[in-house]
Amino acid sequence: MHEDTINVGFAGNPNCGKTTLFNAYTGANLKVANWPGVTVEKKEGEARYKGQKLKLTDLPGLYSLTSYSIEEKVTRRCIMEDDIDVIINVVDASALERNLYLTLQLLELGKPVILALNMMDIVEERGMEIDLHRLPELLGGIPVVPVSARKRTGLDVLMHAVVHHYEEKHSPRVVEYSEDLEGRIARLEQVLKEQEPEIINARWHAIKLLVQDEEQVEEHPVDLPEVLDRSYEQEFTNQKYAYIEEIIEETLFYKDKKMAFTDKVDGVLTHPVWGMPIFFVVMALVFFLTFAVGDFLKGFFELGLDAFSGAVQGLLERVAVAGWLTSLVVDGIVAGVGGILTFLPNIFILFLALAFLEDSGYMARVAYVMDGLMGRLGLSGKAFLPMVLGFGCTVPAIMATRALEKERDRRRTILVTPFMSCSARLPVYVLFAGMFFGKFKILAALSMYVTGLCVAVLVAYIAHRLDRKESENVLLIELPEYKTPNGRTIAIYVWGKVKDYLTKAGTTIFVASIIIWFLLHFGSSGMVEDVSESFGAMVGRVLEPVLRPAGLGMWQIAVALISGISAKEVVVSSFCVLFGISNVNSPQGMTALTEQLAAYGFGALNAYCLMLFCLLYVPCAATIGVIRRETRSLAFTLKLILFQLLVAWGAAVLVYQVGRLLL
Amino acid sequence: MTVLEGTLQEKYMVQKITIQEHILRRLEALGIIPGTKLMLMNRKKNGTCIIKVRGTRWAIGPMIAGGIFVEKAGEETAVEGQEAGEHA
Repeated sequence: MHEDTINVGFAGNPNCGKTTLFNAYTGANLKVANWPGVTVEKKEGEARYKGQKLKLTDLPGLYSLTSYSIEEKVTRRCIMEDDIDVIINVVDASALERNLYLTLQLLELGKPVILALNMMDIVEERGMEIDLHRLPELLGGIPVVPVSARKRTGLDVLMHAVVHHYEEKHSPRVVEYSEDLEGRIARLEQVLKEQEPEIINARWHAIKLLVQDEEQVEEHPVDLPEVLDRSYEQEFTNQKYAYIEEIIEETLFYKDKKMAFTDKVDGVLTHPVWGMPIFFVVMALVFFLTFAVGDFLKGFFELGLDAFSGAVQGLLERVAVAGWLTSLVVDGIVAGVGGILTFLPNIFILFLALAFLEDSGYMARVAYVMDGLMGRLGLSGKAFLPMVLGFGCTVPAIMATRALEKERDRRRTILVTPFMSCSARLPVYVLFAGMFFGKFKILAALSMYVTGLCVAVLVAYIAHRLDRKESENVLLIELPEYKTPNGRTIAIYVWGKVKDYLTKAGTTIFVASIIIWFLLHFGSSGMVEDVSESFGAMVGRVLEPVLRPAGLGMWQIAVALISGISAKEVVVSSFCVLFGISNVNSPQGMTALTEQLAAYGFGALNAYCLMLFCLLYVPCAATIGVIRRETRSLAFTLKLILFQLLVAWGAAVLVYQVGRLLL
Repeated sequence: MTVLEGTLQEKYMVQKITIQEHILRRLEALGIIPGTKLMLMNRKKNGTCIIKVRGTRWAIGPMIAGGIFVEKAGEETAVEGQEAGEHA
């Protein structure tokens, strides 16, 4: 029994099931989906197997150890440095040929490798067979364990292999290269061992020198110009693939050929003409469901909230709590937080639909379908994936831009992603469209999504034209097999989002509601009866003139918009607290608010401008944080904030002024 | 001819790839190298293609597609992946 913890790293190609396997061992609920690049950050967890402690690290997927994109660099660094004792190379058995290239590279590293043959169920479904005796032989005798991460089979066997093999420090030599290459490797190994007697895997270092790996050349320079006359990367790659073809020939058998289901579906979904319209119909359907079904469900929530609010007020009055405290709890917290909770059904439906899209395999196709349009904006179709994710939440969407290779493309994508309408703006649309647009409310809300997309596209286009640099369309993305979305995967995904929403309601929105309540009930003379004498009103009045041309010239709106920077839902909670509406999402609540707003001359056009402004203005605090972190540039982040403010104000002014002329 | 001029659902073999070094390296790592068999699955008007190589589908932009030179695969060079089992 070992006292020490074994550090286990999950490495493998993108979308081969590493995270599903990691979740199965650690009980974690990390997001998984069926498109390459879901995991962009390494995640750690703990597990135990027969008393042995294991530290598991889930790494972003990579096709080879040569690093190109950020996620590849993260993984490579983590594996190469001594953080990992044993590598579990997760392999998609249904795409063995492509996956084995990384396997051969990992074997050369010299760390113990265990092959986890994932997706064996799919192999069977497709009428394929893998020779499980011959495969380990051809891979130098490393353990090969068939598993199904989804069905949770083979998990114990795999951990057993880890515990028993982690001490084998040297992986066997698997690929024998050509005489010329082996000669060069031998010469370099000799010199390296002389130069640095403590060097562990001289063969690997020699190969890295021969492919002119930058880090290697810098850290372990060898002066042998006749051996290192050029890069031999191509030779190494070709010979590895030649060996892989041998392996495939000897171990993979097709019992019967089946017309791949994926090809049939792709015939429709990636159709040259219909591909794009289908995508827009799919997205329209997603949002229609979000509003229509969400609307239907929310009634139950309102009843619950009404009862709760009444009960709290009754209780507080019965125990004779001070009036101001009752007001804080009922008008501040219950109105602000509770008001937001009634939008949960909409949020739930939205993420359920997005989870289906992501887990079915359609997401990657969107990159292909949108590549033509994105090409005109100087971006590849791959940049559209973060934008689609932005419909859910901007924070993970910004993180997803890591999959883009070029920093310039990344920044441009980060610039436009906040314009995609995220789920936090949804309560604003549901409320204001519901109050002012009657039977056209869904249409009004949908128009926000279209507007957001159009603004994003337009901004990307202008940025591209201003850039003037020759852009190259280097789309290169794997299109996974379609599959029936997995119930567990969807549940993890949706529950994660619902939990985020509830947490936000309990933290950010809770605190914001209390602060707003204080700002509105206290003024320079202490607690005030009339909100127009409060601190909030004073701040709001400063901004009122700026917002007036946009049809938003009310100090209350200014207060709501400022507080909305903490989280966009807070715009709605602010209105609840500002106008003392306890259940804003109910018909009575809406009527009460509409009447109060009407007194200020606030009508449908103003409501539309408010929705538009909320769509486009400063991203929420969490997004600002992640943009700052991902771009490592405060200047860029500040410019982006200013830019979005200008866009929002400009768009709202335009719509309001034109609207006033027409209506 | 390049993948851009290929016929849909036709099987080809990669002859050579002329493209910037960093993209070439990437394609190599994915096993898209001279001698590799490739099937053209789909193509858009702007030249973005879906190809199937070694049993995996890839969407590639017009620039990459235009850099991959191919020739029709002969009878004896059936596309690997789907037909690999014929060795059995």
